[in-house]
Amino acid sequence: MMFTSPRGEQAGTLGRMDNYIQALKADFEELLGQFQRTDSVRYENFLPIWRNLDFPSLFYGKIVPNEMRIFCRLALATAYQYFLPPYTFQIRVGGLYLLYGLYHTQLASPKEKIRIALKDWEEVMKFQQDAANAQHYDVVYILRKLLSEKSFYFAAMPKQLNYQSKKKPLRNEVCEEFRERPQRVKDLISMDTLEEVMNVQQHYEKMKAAISATPGQLDSAINFIRKDLVSQLRSTMMEYHKLEEQQSRDTVPKSGDGDNAAGEGSSEQQEASKSRRHRQVEMDTSGSGTDPSQLVLFRKKKRPLSLKARTKKNLIDKVGTLKQEATEFTGPGMMEENSKGFLHLKWTMRTEKGGQEWCGMGAWWEIVVRSGCCVLRELKRSRSTAWEFSYKGAVQYDDNQCLC
Amino acid sequence: MAAAASGGGAGDGDRADAQENVPTYEWEDKNTKAFHVAAFGRLWREKLDPALYCYQDTEEDAEHAQLARELELSEETMEELRVICSPDSLTGGDVRTDVVPHDSSLKTVRLRKRKQDYKDSLRRDFPAKQDVFASELENLAIGRRPMDPELLVPEGEIILTVNVLYPVIFEAFKFCRHHMTLQVMGSQKLSELRDAICCVSDLQVYGEFSSTPDMAPEFISKDLYKSAFFFFEGVFYDDMRYPECTAISKSTIEWAKSHDFPTYRSAKMEETTFNDLVVKIGYPYLYCHQGDCEHVVIITDIRLAHRDDCLDKNLYPLLIYKHRMLTRKCSVCNLYISRWLTTDDHLAPMDPCLFCDMCFRTLHYDKEGNKLGHFLAYPYVDPGAFN
Repeated sequence: MMFTSPRGEQAGTLGRMDNYIQALKADFEELLGQFQRTDSVRYENFLPIWRNLDFPSLFYGKIVPNEMRIFCRLALATAYQYFLPPYTFQIRVGGLYLLYGLYHTQLASPKEKIRIALKDWEEVMKFQQDAANAQHYDVVYILRKLLSEKSFYFAAMPKQLNYQSKKKPLRNEVCEEFRERPQRVKDLISMDTLEEVMNVQQHYEKMKAAISATPGQLDSAINFIRKDLVSQLRSTMMEYHKLEEQQSRDTVPKSGDGDNAAGEGSSEQQEASKSRRHRQVEMDTSGSGTDPSQLVLFRKKKRPLSLKARTKKNLIDKVGTLKQEATEFTGPGMMEENSKGFLHLKWTMRTEKGGQEWCGMGAWWEIVVRSGCCVLRELKRSRSTAWEFSYKGAVQYDDNQCLC
Repeated sequence: MAAAASGGGAGDGDRADAQENVPTYEWEDKNTKAFHVAAFGRLWREKLDPALYCYQDTEEDAEHAQLARELELSEETMEELRVICSPDSLTGGDVRTDVVPHDSSLKTVRLRKRKQDYKDSLRRDFPAKQDVFASELENLAIGRRPMDPELLVPEGEIILTVNVLYPVIFEAFKFCRHHMTLQVMGSQKLSELRDAICCVSDLQVYGEFSSTPDMAPEFISKDLYKSAFFFFEGVFYDDMRYPECTAISKSTIEWAKSHDFPTYRSAKMEETTFNDLVVKIGYPYLYCHQGDCEHVVIITDIRLAHRDDCLDKNLYPLLIYKHRMLTRKCSVCNLYISRWLTTDDHLAPMDPCLFCDMCFRTLHYDKEGNKLGHFLAYPYVDPGAFN
């Protein structure tokens, strides 16, 4: 007897649909990551990425019509998240293009619609207005085209809710790289607040003068405020703003005018290079399951690794090349110049696992440094656990003592 | 300050009312907070241009002209936009869509390929009956329009999707909840939903008939016990259409009052439409009939009507999914659907045992129609009767 799951919709040739959610998210983030790197919001830049990754093939295969609908619904619902805040403007544009692409290449007939929740409608309208103001006409055109083709369901929530209390709620993790940088300083100190602070300060001074011993003069004994508070605040804020802009100009070469025009488009692209280095590279679980241990891993997630896999993993850890895990080095590095004019930098490197030191063999490494010209020449092990390498040029540290 | 507060208060009242009718999650991914259905519909209709939810297809050229005017674009730019953003550029031409591409860079495709390869390696390869059944059912209703324009679902009408689950008794069946999914319009009464729910316990005939197998059952439970109620958000909606109906929720309300529960109200099912309800989406509610046959009812979705929906008023409440239940066949011939259930029967291989009509009569009665042996027989209604 074949039992179906509570939804009644999830059994069948494709198995449980939940597995697809993770895979879909990974694919969408790949697409959006590439789109983010183009630093533009033009549809013409989106199309080649779409075609290179062969996204229409998402829907290929011998799929029963009923399951095709469910899959299309799932794909559209997953893509819809990228169209809303807290993602940056560029990612939201990418999300819109993605929805457009999925809607038109889906193989369900009649086409599955995109669900818009009532609570998100304001955001969508604001998004359209921003795009129109920034003269991103292709964005507006595509959004209007979707609306006029009646490709939306105006619903209460972005997906159907069935009180699935048994399943662990899937934590909707916002991809950090796509997140908009919070405009906290700007929000805190706006022109209005500055004006108000100034008013309050003047009022306060007047009150103080009124009650002081010498009428009309501030009594020095009870004078606790800074006179130039407002102007100082203002100048600090301007400085911060300038620094931000400079940083963004340095990291991101502008690809063309009009692409990063007004407001939203401009300041959002910097986070990419800094955080990308520390991103973990995912284990590749591709292929048609030739490795039996890998296949087992996929099917039954809870089963512990086999002895073979564990040995392999530990061996590779101990001997051989550095695994690509996020590393950061702690402690102050020592810098000294040797006879050949090279600067030596010594420090200890620790992995994220805490305390486990790498002891790899000599390897060539190349690190491109933000400020431009530093190239790491040689990395070799020395004595205990200190890495030592030589390089030429200027090097900057940032706050976490990571090589910039 | 005081003036500002009171002025803000009046404005806030409207905004708060609007805010509380915007559905938001109460528990993430599980259910929303309660909101009024008609107010929700009104909010959507206020925010949207009627052209966005009407049923006619808009003229493409007219749309383009209007957009060009709004954005102040020239004709060439408009034309350029139309060419660049056309959906034809999304697909790569003629490709066989039933073959999963080999060596794709997309994780989803690789996952699908793995599953399909596994499935192909199995010996038996027929599509699950549930899926075939479900696809056919869906295709029946899509895009149906009525002949008579009077019967057209009005634009901007709200459609609710309701899941009705069946009472399941055994622990072993906890991951298999038979259910049916219906779509109802906001303007329909609750009683119409009640009539559309077909539960097999409505057809049961009570009584022991071993001595009188030929007496055709004169009544089925549906006709006898007509009372039923729905329970949404603290209000019991009773069916009071027929004189035989009693408000079976009364006892529950009285018990609740004496046991320190919040007070529940009661109302009439045939006077309440779905638009009047205050509900949570995704939250389980109750439908009870026959006195003790209880079904969990979940409203899974509320949205505005769409051009591609079924637009015929007469077809609502519309069935879009029904779990196909196994029909129990006779234990003797295994051909016909069982009609009789016998207990305490020495002639039967097990207790209780199912028989079809022919086998039952041939086994238990002789030529004159006398009862052979001792047994108890009850008419049996197969759960798959609605397939």
